Amino acid sequence: MTSEQETTHYAVSVVGKDRPGIVAAITEGLFRLGGNIADSSCTMLAGEFAMILIVSLKSRSGEKGLLEELTPVCDRIGMSLGVRTLHGDEIVRQEPDGEICMISVYGADQPGIVYRVTRELATRSINITDLNTKLIGSETEPVYVLMLEVALPEGETAEGVEALLAELKAELHVEIAVRIITPVVF
Amino acid sequence: MPIQPILRYPHPVLKKLCNRVEQIDPPIHTLIGDLVDTMVAGPGSVGVAAPQIGVTLRVCVVDVSKNRFGKENNHGRLCMVNPEIIARSGIATMREGCMSIPDYTGDVERNTQITLRFTEPDGTEREILASGFEAVAIQHEMDHLDGVLFLDRVVSIKTGLFRRKSY
Repeated sequence: MTSEQETTHYAVSVVGKDRPGIVAAITEGLFRLGGNIADSSCTMLAGEFAMILIVSLKSRSGEKGLLEELTPVCDRIGMSLGVRTLHGDEIVRQEPDGEICMISVYGADQPGIVYRVTRELATRSINITDLNTKLIGSETEPVYVLMLEVALPEGETAEGVEALLAELKAELHVEIAVRIITPVVF
Repeated sequence: MPIQPILRYPHPVLKKLCNRVEQIDPPIHTLIGDLVDTMVAGPGSVGVAAPQIGVTLRVCVVDVSKNRFGKENNHGRLCMVNPEIIARSGIATMREGCMSIPDYTGDVERNTQITLRFTEPDGTEREILASGFEAVAIQHEMDHLDGVLFLDRVVSIKTGLFRRKSY
């Protein structure tokens, strides 16, 4: 094993106007480099397509090599590119001790919903593992939907989170529902 | 009767269609004992199917009586030979994981109520109506008998947390 090149992980982000062929174009570049896609999440937000990939690579050319390979591809298809080298301690996933919780927040659109909710969660060390927001409703009555998946610290409960957000719910006139979604392993 | 190691995907047995048990003989009793011991030994495990311990026969065990979702509504320890679902109704989504596919979970739709027919280890035929969490657990285990994994049934791309802990 000592003769083998060390594997390095990179966070690669690609964002730009959506169209067919983006994923194929980016992953072709990664394939050519001999890169592996570990975790990834790619989604369409409004008309933008956003890719976030954790890529592992044995090549010595590293970050520079990734940029050299992907920059022309991104230029060609009109996407912006970001590459960051991850250090060893960044690629270890922390396993939460407590429950996994889904929080839905929705109501009339107004500034600060995401900030106010996530600030409360941060004060209790509740870790957000997934978050998405969507603006729905009509132009005259816009409705904001915020969905959060969070990992509760040991001892924290869904009721505790509900109580934590109760004041905010009244102040912002939004609906807030909290439920445990900790997976069952059969 | 010993605890058996749980096979993990991509072990080929996990994708096999299992055979019906023609006769409940001593090896079948041993198998059922192994399944129960393996289930009891697995932390929080509520069921094990024969292919998960390498046996391609239509046998599985389920016991949700100690689980927080199942303790109020269950049939105790179910040891099922040749189980068949003869009626099903209701649909609910639940996030599932599987000991044969560690570190990954996904949202799966299951029927909330099932009528189940199976043979008991002593050879008697039994029919039960299972609902709620117990029904979900039975459907998950019975899927194993058809080589179906929860990954084949995930309905949402949101996969939640436990993908991999490190690379």
